Amino acid sequence: TEWNVSLWGKRRAFTENVEKIAELVKEKTNGEFTLNLSYGGLAKNKENLDGISIGAFEMAQFCAGYHADKNPSLTVLELPFLGVGSLEQEIQVSQTLYAHPAVVADLARWNATLLMPTPMPQYNIVGSGDAPKKLADFAGMTVRATGGIGEAMEALGAVPTSMTASEVRQAMDSGVIKAASFAPHAHMAFGTVENATWWTTNLNPGTVNCPVVVNTDALNALSDSEREALLGSVDEALAFYVQNYNEKTMVKWYPLLEEKGIEQITYDPAAIADLKEKVAGPAAKAWIEENAARGLPAQELYDLVVSTVAGS
Amino acid sequence: MAGHASILSDDSLISRIDRTFFKLETFLALIGGLAVFSLMLLAVASVGGRNFFNQPLPGYVDWIEQFMPLIAFVGVAYCQRLGGHIRMDIVVSRLKGRGLWAAEFVSTMLMLIIMILLVWGSWAHFERSFDFNAPLWSRDSSLDIRLPLWPAKLLAPFAFSILCVRLTLHAWGYGRAFLRGDAEPVAVPLVEDAATQAAHEAEAVSGFEEEISAAGTDKSNG
Amino acid sequence: MDSIEIGLFVTGGLLVMVLIGVRVAFAAAIAGLVGLVWIFWAKKGYDASAFFWALSVAVKTAGQVPHSKVASQALSLIPAFILIGYLAYYAGLTKALFEAAKRWVGWLPGGLGVSTVFATAGFAAVSGASVATSAVFARIAIPEMLAIGYDKKFAAGVVACAGTLASLIPPSAILVIYAIIVEQDVGSLLLAGFLPGAFSAVIYAMLVIGLAVTFKKLGPPVTGFTWKERFASLPGASPIFMVVAIIILFIYNPFGGDAWGTPTEGGAIGAFLIFLIALARGMRWPQFKDSLLETAKLSVMIFTIIWGVLIYVRFLGFADLPGTFADWISSLHQSPMLTLVLILLAYAVLGMFMDAIGMLLLTLPVVFPAIIALNGGEGVSAADSAFGMDSVSCAIWFGIIVVKMAELCLITPPIGLNCFVVAGVRPDISVQEVFRGAFPFFIADALTIAGLIAFPAITLYLPGLLLGN
Ligand code: NA
Ligand code: NA
Repeated sequence: TEWNVSLWGKRRAFTENVEKIAELVKEKTNGEFTLNLSYGGLAKNKENLDGISIGAFEMAQFCAGYHADKNPSLTVLELPFLGVGSLEQEIQVSQTLYAHPAVVADLARWNATLLMPTPMPQYNIVGSGDAPKKLADFAGMTVRATGGIGEAMEALGAVPTSMTASEVRQAMDSGVIKAASFAPHAHMAFGTVENATWWTTNLNPGTVNCPVVVNTDALNALSDSEREALLGSVDEALAFYVQNYNEKTMVKWYPLLEEKGIEQITYDPAAIADLKEKVAGPAAKAWIEENAARGLPAQELYDLVVSTVAGS
Repeated sequence: MAGHASILSDDSLISRIDRTFFKLETFLALIGGLAVFSLMLLAVASVGGRNFFNQPLPGYVDWIEQFMPLIAFVGVAYCQRLGGHIRMDIVVSRLKGRGLWAAEFVSTMLMLIIMILLVWGSWAHFERSFDFNAPLWSRDSSLDIRLPLWPAKLLAPFAFSILCVRLTLHAWGYGRAFLRGDAEPVAVPLVEDAATQAAHEAEAVSGFEEEISAAGTDKSNG
Repeated sequence: MDSIEIGLFVTGGLLVMVLIGVRVAFAAAIAGLVGLVWIFWAKKGYDASAFFWALSVAVKTAGQVPHSKVASQALSLIPAFILIGYLAYYAGLTKALFEAAKRWVGWLPGGLGVSTVFATAGFAAVSGASVATSAVFARIAIPEMLAIGYDKKFAAGVVACAGTLASLIPPSAILVIYAIIVEQDVGSLLLAGFLPGAFSAVIYAMLVIGLAVTFKKLGPPVTGFTWKERFASLPGASPIFMVVAIIILFIYNPFGGDAWGTPTEGGAIGAFLIFLIALARGMRWPQFKDSLLETAKLSVMIFTIIWGVLIYVRFLGFADLPGTFADWISSLHQSPMLTLVLILLAYAVLGMFMDAIGMLLLTLPVVFPAIIALNGGEGVSAADSAFGMDSVSCAIWFGIIVVKMAELCLITPPIGLNCFVVAGVRPDISVQEVFRGAFPFFIADALTIAGLIAFPAITLYLPGLLLGN
């Protein structure tokens, strides 16, 4: 069996879970079952769910925030200040949510089955110009931030400004925006660090959720041994991903900050807690109301996420 | 590469339908042109808002993405009516009479088939973003301000259907010319040799220049 | 049959369709769709009962492409740049520019030819399309040149060739299209076009002077303008300088402060200013409506090619042809520079028969990954690369070279649109005469391209400022 896998951009820390599972599956089936990874050749990143639904390819990665209406149940994981502290915890919370029947049904509309998450650390902000030593200094600052992170920035009086990821570097260098929020690997991939002067170490407003899904019919059509090889490789692929992210990306990150002379700003935990108080509650309430109106058990999903974070 | 063509007319049924339908196509193309102009105004508002009022236009990119299909699709039949979609006419320009009409008929039918299939495909794309039971009927929305995407996606099958009607008219026109053995049929774009074509392009431009000179606006001529 | 063979067959079919005159956009869409059906059906072992499934998946895959590719902020620059060019005619900018150029550089040998080159370069800063630029200057410059005894082949050749500057000097629709296909920053590419455009204009001007000195009867100088007259000619042409300044300020602020916005916004603001000037100079609804319709038609034409070709490109993605071609190119046992030159020669041949935008759209999806692979791959450092530059710089550098190559096809026989247009404006000059007049400029262009290859800094200096290195 041969599967096509739709990814985007280029190979990076973010895609290592898929790269690893492809390697493991091939190994376990002695080459009987192969995954062909394509970076951008099969679909645009926002159309990956469409491609899965059509059956054009069998596996794909996407981010829930790219199209909230396509996957409303997943966006609960993009709410600001959920308090997820590590990649391991992010995996656990995601997998618990992915198993919920309402989420399974949400993705089933696309003929998709959730295979595994792509955990990402908390976003933080890289910027140029005067460093915001206090949270109040964000007032009036143009920041590229989307979704729940945008809401958090707005609560600080910042001006979230929209643009595609590929325009961020230029917009920042040209002063259209002063700062941008990404995970560290993306700050490096999109070059926002090149002319930056500061980085926030502990703002931790949230992250985006980017699952890997498979086409349900294609999954059912696999032989038992092939399916076992695929599903049985998830844990190992994720373990490899986490190790790679922590040891390769984060190991490069801090020396890069040193080398570029980028100031690391750490806020008073009490101030962050205060911000969280102001943003997290209202955002969660709005999310629950909106998605209950769609017919999702929104309160239940939110409680599930919160209790998993608390219990892990 | 042909970008221009002349279209003859008379009072036959096909020519009358051609001219009536062209009015609709022109109207749609003008909407496309106005959309370009609106984008310009949108950018002015965005820049002005950001630089003078510290108030950027929320969802600027989302709005541009909504406008683009209007610019890119709705004039597609207008362009075809005028023979404006480019092609290589090295071979076609050597054919004459029935041979030419047969070749045009075949290439028009190929275009009609692909466009019918793309009406199906782009309709399916629209359908995946549309849900009667969802808020704003939306099952797919833009990144920043969550605009529903289905109206923009619907423009593709809409414009492609208009193009299918136009291609049917062209197929009819070429087929008719083939059967009757016309030398200069009505209601279809006629291949022009390079010189005629260029003369037309030149005419379009010199029209502008003459208007300017006639208005006596060019103060620098001293 | 494996997917590579399917890819080659379908590509062959596409070329045949284009050659026999199927409109390029639709030929590409047909090829792409047939290819997708073939690939999906092959996956099911050509089982008859699976044909409809394959057709449906292929149609739905192709059906996503028009909307998803066209709804893009970067592409919105193209209609803005087209509109700006049409509005510039109504603003009377062309004549004013030529008059100013004549008073400042007309005293040189071949003075009016040199003036044409520089006025065209100036107009290129508001026009995104080469053909329209040549058509306008054929009206304005050729009569004046003939009046003082210029050789008519020479006069026509200058105008046909100088028009190609419009695609190198920003704004440029074709540079935007290149940036989109190869997924590079539009602003960097537009900025990169400035110096090569100016470089190319200088080479043209030097060629004109050289020819005028060598062959005395080609074109006498025009003298006798006072400094007062020279300065008096500037206000009429000044909107051009204003627009250029604004576009630069929106991409890069040379005074060290913040740029004013994104290139998209700069293009739109430039168009808005020209719109106001055109209004002030007498443009009213009938002319405005004409320019909207012309803009709509040209934009639709370009966008149709874009989505048509991208359906074909989507099929190439499934067939993995670009990857295979790149592997093959980088496995060749010859110097990368020789391979690059051979690829450029292939473009020169293709360009004799094809339209510039269609040619780039059809070839780049396969050629570009090969060029990047040739240079040493994505993320290669300048030190380890074949051309001495990192992959982003290589993308910009190759982009400018390939756009210059594509412009060459506008002045080469048998199909050279700029030459046709000049001959169309001037019924007394035949197409053959324009082609003959343009021939020396073909050599100038070869020199320009050699210069751009030998000195990448001409292309990379300005974007380097933007990228901060
Ligand atoms: Na230009
Ligand atoms: Na040519």
